[in-house]
Amino acid sequence: MTAIFEAFRFKQKDTFMHGLDPRTTFFMAVSFSIIGMLFLQIIPLLLVFLSMIPFILLARSTRQWFKSLRGLAYLAGFILIINSFFISFSFAISTVLRLVVLMTAFSLFFLTVHPDDFALALIKMHIPYEFAFAFSMAVRYVPTIATETETIRDAQMSRGLELERGNVIQKVRNYIPILIPIIVSSIRRALQVAESLESRAFGSTATRTSLYDLKLRKSDYGMMLVAAVALAFALYVAFVVRIQFPYLLPDWFFWGFPF
Amino acid sequence: MFEYESGHPVLRGLNVELEPGQVVGLMGENGAGKTTLVKQINGLLKPTTGAVYVDGVDTRETSTAQLAKKVGFVFQNADHQLFADSLHAEVAFALRNLDFSKEEIDDRVARYLELFELTRYKDQSPFLLSGGERKRLALASVLCVEPKILILDEPTQAQDALQKEKLLKFMDSFRDPEHILVLVTHDVEFAIKAVDRLLVLSQGQLIADGSPHQILSNPRILDRARLLPPQLTQFAHKLAEQFPEFPLNVATVSEAVEAVNQLIRSQR
Amino acid sequence: MLDNISLSIPQGAFIGLVGPSGCGKTTLARCLNGLIPHFHPGELEGTVIVQGLNSQDHHAHELAQKVGLVFQNPENQLVAPTVERELAFGPENLGVPRDEIRQRVETLLHQHHLEELRDKAPYELSGGEQQRVAIAAVLALQPEILVLDEPTANLDPLSAFEILQLIAYLNQEMQLTVLLIEHRLELVLPHIQELVVLNKGQLVARGPPREVFHNPIVAEIGVAVPGMIQLLKQVDNPRIRSTTPLSVEDAVNTILKEVRS
Repeated sequence: MTAIFEAFRFKQKDTFMHGLDPRTTFFMAVSFSIIGMLFLQIIPLLLVFLSMIPFILLARSTRQWFKSLRGLAYLAGFILIINSFFISFSFAISTVLRLVVLMTAFSLFFLTVHPDDFALALIKMHIPYEFAFAFSMAVRYVPTIATETETIRDAQMSRGLELERGNVIQKVRNYIPILIPIIVSSIRRALQVAESLESRAFGSTATRTSLYDLKLRKSDYGMMLVAAVALAFALYVAFVVRIQFPYLLPDWFFWGFPF
Repeated sequence: MFEYESGHPVLRGLNVELEPGQVVGLMGENGAGKTTLVKQINGLLKPTTGAVYVDGVDTRETSTAQLAKKVGFVFQNADHQLFADSLHAEVAFALRNLDFSKEEIDDRVARYLELFELTRYKDQSPFLLSGGERKRLALASVLCVEPKILILDEPTQAQDALQKEKLLKFMDSFRDPEHILVLVTHDVEFAIKAVDRLLVLSQGQLIADGSPHQILSNPRILDRARLLPPQLTQFAHKLAEQFPEFPLNVATVSEAVEAVNQLIRSQR
Repeated sequence: MLDNISLSIPQGAFIGLVGPSGCGKTTLARCLNGLIPHFHPGELEGTVIVQGLNSQDHHAHELAQKVGLVFQNPENQLVAPTVERELAFGPENLGVPRDEIRQRVETLLHQHHLEELRDKAPYELSGGEQQRVAIAAVLALQPEILVLDEPTANLDPLSAFEILQLIAYLNQEMQLTVLLIEHRLELVLPHIQELVVLNKGQLVARGPPREVFHNPIVAEIGVAVPGMIQLLKQVDNPRIRSTTPLSVEDAVNTILKEVRS
């Protein structure tokens, strides 16, 4: 089930998608998501889904994305069954499709944007530095905390802790000797990091400078235009055409399973 | 007491047997495989090929929890173990996991808190103790199980001289035919005083096994394992260059003093 | 935590600060760059003056440009995603113009032999490399004083030795004033001009290493007296006993000289 996270793990690659400014990728991801949410019908959703595949290919991240899809299978199956039972199979399929579209839209972002560039983008979008920095540091410390968790688990198991022992309640309580050291250790770490930050003048001026800068290029403007047009078109179809002139839409637009 | 060989990608071609009554030192550069090796002893890791036998038991068929009765592992950072509401609960943790009776638990907790001079903090939270006290608490909570094999991972880190002396005394008391003590460390000065037999790992392979003095004065081994020779060893070797009769295996200051006095007398 | 300490440190000095666990060395170090009283609440009686600045009247960030503080755990001093950005972090905080930041970063990468590590993330570095980066990152603010709180505690012997050599170099060649808190003094003793010994918050001894180590109180309180010094102090020869070797060579030469005369 944790394979779901594969499509959200950044890997440094030299592709067109990786070279885009994070703000562009973010805009594209949001656009795709909105478009995905606009439609309930199977065929349009399928079209949206298919239109995102070229971008995944451009980012050369198909394998990771596939792994995530497989991880998603459980959740999808669950949704499929519940919705088929209570509403209809057609609806269930379209719900699953929406889920996949949403997931793919954001995985496109996380696959191609480096966490620190994301923090930089946040700053450029005038989010206060402290938040962007907190995010950036959180990402930086993930491997550290992961390693520490393993060590703590090893230490407690060496004292006879059996994680699989007992009923469900007991199993949850078995994790306390692991959770508490992680929390305490993280608090200690936070204090030490804070001292290091203070010692290097963190927060001393409101006009903080930066070594690197993000610049929008022609390719960025191009992609944002494409995304904007697609979004505008989708909005038009969803709100104007579908409501006021539904007869203009071809029959296959509304196709669904008879059940 | 046990032997093993391993084809683990981190460790290769090891074939070692540890005898009871010894303090065994394990040294090597970071990433050499020291931690991987000691984790084989209490079953946290199992060998990919080959086998590890602890007191006659094959670790591949035993869980770490079961091995915890025989093998005590004190990790480098005490804060990675402490979690309970009180010192009593902390020390009792391992005993409870291993299904000791309530009377036995109470008895052992009292004894070991006393041994490590922590009784007055019995009902306090472990987190309120000082760094050195927390380390002693971690030791107490592992030792109360009275394991036959004890693994200490970098116990001298950030300890001052008095604390190291106490540790040395404690390790001495563990030296008897029923026990084995494995010391994983970088501290060459401490190792040369504490250890009977030294194993050196480098890049997953055993590059030395034997007398600490010989090994810690071998430049090739020291270089590969990123170690510095203890000062006394350097001293002995430099003097021996001019006076070949000077003993090379001085481990403590008193031994060195004796040797120097002897040298001075002999030169009169 | 600290009781009646009166200390003045001349520019360019290399001072070793020692004492048993809990003696107040860490507290003292934090007084020097303003962490006490600005970051850690408490009562500060007396004054700390750093290059003319009274620590209570000036912000931590002003003091950070005078005194760099390096801590024990290198992992918790590296906050940026890459080494390069770590070095830039301090100047960025001060609002230094981009060109100058670039210049400082390049100089530090070169001076501290960190060029190959430029794009590496903290978790990809060894302990010794991390600490080297931490030191360089602190120097990016261009302080003239460097205070180090047990910088080699978490390192293997060879890395510890390299870091201590770096610190000696920074003192001698770059004229930085250095205050070093360290248990393993023997590796750096020849470079230290003065030792300050604390115990239970009080200053119990101070002076050149040769003097301080002859003071019996030092060993009593739990300070690790280097093996060579202990050795020579117990030898059956009054002339040898009166010397204080600062290194293995020192000790050997002293004995050879005596034996041959």
